[in-house]
Amino acid sequence: MSLAAQAPRFRATVILALFTMVAAPAGLIIYQSFLSAPFFDEAARPSLEAYEFILTDPEFYRALWTTILYAVGLVLIAVPLGGLLAFLITRTDLKGRGWIEPLVLVPMFLSSIVLAFGYTVAVGPSGFVTIAFRSVFGAAPWSIYTLPGIILIGGLSHVPTVYLYVASAMRRLPSDLEEAARTAGASIWRVSLDVTLPMVLPALVFSAALNLLLGFETFGIPLVLGDPNGILVLTTYIYKVNSIFGAPTYQVMAAVTVFLILITLPLVFIQRRLLRHARRFAAVGGKGARTNLLKLGRAGQAIALSIIGLWLLVSVVLPVGGVVLRAFVENWGEGVRLSEQWTLANFRAVFAIESLSRGIVNTILLAAVGGALAVGFYLLVGLAGHRNHGRTGTLLDYSILIPRALPGLIVGLAFFWLFLFVPFLVPLRTTLFSLLIAYVIVGLSYGLRIIQATLLQVAPELEESARTAGATTFRTWRDVVIPLVRPGLAGAWAMIMIVFLREYATGVYLMGAGTEVIGSLMVSLLTSGAMDQIAALSFISILLTAVGLTLALRLGAKIHD
Amino acid sequence: MIDRRQFVLASAASAAALGTGPSVRGQELPAGYPADYKAVVEKARSEGVISIYTSTDDVQGRPIVEAFQKAFPGIRVDYNDLGTNGSYNRVISEAAAKQVGSDIVWTSAMDLQMVLVQKGLAEAYKSPETGRLPVWANFKDTLYGTTVEPVAILYNKAQLAAFKLPQTRAELLAFMRDNKDALKGKLATFDPEKSGTGFLFFSNDAKTRPDTFELVRAFGATEGKTYGSSGAMREKIVSGEHWLAFNVIGSYAIEWAAKNPALGYILTSDYTAAFSRVANISKGAPHPNAARVFLDFLIGAAGQTALASVGAPSIRTDVSSGLNLTRLGEMAKGNLKPIPVTSALLEATEPKNRADFFRRWKEALRG
Repeated sequence: MSLAAQAPRFRATVILALFTMVAAPAGLIIYQSFLSAPFFDEAARPSLEAYEFILTDPEFYRALWTTILYAVGLVLIAVPLGGLLAFLITRTDLKGRGWIEPLVLVPMFLSSIVLAFGYTVAVGPSGFVTIAFRSVFGAAPWSIYTLPGIILIGGLSHVPTVYLYVASAMRRLPSDLEEAARTAGASIWRVSLDVTLPMVLPALVFSAALNLLLGFETFGIPLVLGDPNGILVLTTYIYKVNSIFGAPTYQVMAAVTVFLILITLPLVFIQRRLLRHARRFAAVGGKGARTNLLKLGRAGQAIALSIIGLWLLVSVVLPVGGVVLRAFVENWGEGVRLSEQWTLANFRAVFAIESLSRGIVNTILLAAVGGALAVGFYLLVGLAGHRNHGRTGTLLDYSILIPRALPGLIVGLAFFWLFLFVPFLVPLRTTLFSLLIAYVIVGLSYGLRIIQATLLQVAPELEESARTAGATTFRTWRDVVIPLVRPGLAGAWAMIMIVFLREYATGVYLMGAGTEVIGSLMVSLLTSGAMDQIAALSFISILLTAVGLTLALRLGAKIHD
Repeated sequence: MIDRRQFVLASAASAAALGTGPSVRGQELPAGYPADYKAVVEKARSEGVISIYTSTDDVQGRPIVEAFQKAFPGIRVDYNDLGTNGSYNRVISEAAAKQVGSDIVWTSAMDLQMVLVQKGLAEAYKSPETGRLPVWANFKDTLYGTTVEPVAILYNKAQLAAFKLPQTRAELLAFMRDNKDALKGKLATFDPEKSGTGFLFFSNDAKTRPDTFELVRAFGATEGKTYGSSGAMREKIVSGEHWLAFNVIGSYAIEWAAKNPALGYILTSDYTAAFSRVANISKGAPHPNAARVFLDFLIGAAGQTALASVGAPSIRTDVSSGLNLTRLGEMAKGNLKPIPVTSALLEATEPKNRADFFRRWKEALRG
């Protein structure tokens, strides 16, 4: 059999394997939602009770409405800001953009629990900054425990996701069109709006849709910041429903999850339609693209740097500063002199406790090694879907986005069941592989979209010419596509590493003694309120990501390319 | 041989902690232990592992784990902090898949663990230490109370300097009513919707104290906030965001107040409820002998001493380091009311009773 004949089979095999990995947990959840008890319980019978419960519960509707507001608000804040930052950093001669860029990405490194925790400590009602501000001005006119506060923090924390997609697209744009517009006398803002913006529209649409999905799935920020005022979103509603019944009510959790899937599938459909004409936007042709940066001018520099500075202050300095301070003190707040409180006790406790220190090692392993394995897997899937306009291509698109609709907590729970009840998976349950597989599914849309976007940027004529010259599909991939996207793969690895480092919800139900990870440890510690250790772990988590990022940059893995 | 010697050392440590100081000669077992107990320890060692599902976090659980490992060096402790719901979930799921992973379940969800017993997922085992426990802390030699932890008030001393502090439940009610405006947004309590422990506290209060919903109503009128953990409330009280929290885990409050002079605690003298962390051996435990040895250790003198060292007061009256049942009774002016480990715990888990409780809770919380 010729290699050419194997390509469709390769595509089908990979896509079906992926579909199984996605459909198994999703199917289990849907099945569970139509039962009256846990699916493994002998008393379980088909029932619509779970749906009846949520559809008659006013709290559910309130949570649904809050979730919609949150998701839309998040997109409205994150997309314009992320786009603007990407434009300033990639298309203009902004001063210091080399060191600004890694800073812009910082909120993305952090799990939203760490971020929310940092904000509480910095600008909460008795935060470091709030107290200082109050002592100078008499009052601090903000509250982060309100819905607008939560939306603002959520929006700011998602700016890097938008930035990465848009910056990646912008870097590939040749600058001749912008230059032409400048030469014709257009202002720099005019150029960005009328020339750059339309060319990166696919990236903007992608990131808007993705952030909308992320907004629906959000858990950490509303959990930490919304709870004190009883502000619920769908995921925290799931969390709450569980304890209202006293015992786990899997069927209700599952029914709410089914709603999340129903809300997000149309989004996937719209996204797919918008990108059907992706060819129109391919901007890397056979000819090399030369990029000249737009000149901002003195005033432009000042304005741009102020915007970025303010954003950095609010999105990075405040939460990270909060975490750093809190990690080195045991007491803080009104009337406490911090200079007398410095201590390493929080860290000593973390390193003395076996499960916590093992959690640090496991997290590093999962992120670095697991991240690399994940990228390999994503590349296989990416190639299987590359220029695949057949039915399997559609299946692939949905396979990628379904897990995005499932909250990490639920994905973790479903995989916990699969590893428990599917005989050949059983031996993996108590190893890090169980977490890795769940993580691969949770990180799927991030990782794959980056890889797909990179693959799409390779203009079809390059591949077509290889095929015309007689190369098989495999050969074309090996000799043309993969070498061209290799820098993109390193970037994808760095990104996946970050995603795996910050993941917290997926491991909650999956991890056990020996497979602890930092993020999920923080969730369990949050339940008992061990804030000292949470602060120390948050600090270590930030440190790890900083080290990882530095390493990735040193190795030449440009995050953006 | 080494095994036995270490076991004897452990027993000696227990004896020393007891202060009774029986002579340690040869290979004597502690009083009340059956003669064949050494064989159980031998088997536990060859099992080599003890797997614990717990809601006691790693920080608090550390001393008991370390003390156990010192006493039984051959047995590795797999300590799984899964939370109350998490432990319960995992136990029922694993039982259904016939892959029991836990030897011991040890959580503060007294009611959920009673459900496990009811479902037949717990193994009966008469511990030789049984005689040292209060009668109400032993349910059919299956589910054992291991601590006694009072429910308390935690407050920020500086913020409440100008107020007369409530010493009884009645005074707490008056305090909230009289200072409704001054206390606006300054009070906190456990959220029974988010936390099983919070539910246990309030449902127990509702059952035993007629003024419970009056208290909740007065709290609601001050626009107080509810939290899912005592630690979260501590954080807000240390920082001054809240001034006072009631129905927090008092054993923690006592520890925190000892460490941080800004914090104070109150055990209300007319009524102080107390809960226990309860433990049982899992049905079909993969390491049944290690499970027995651990359970005995947990309620034995050495384990109780280790627990008391991290502020989980001993349920025994004969453990003298740290707090114990007797000392807490005195601190609560004789009105310590521990929640007994009985099947009455199941009442609150009935869906109808829960719904009823939450209806009243929500109605009262509106103020």
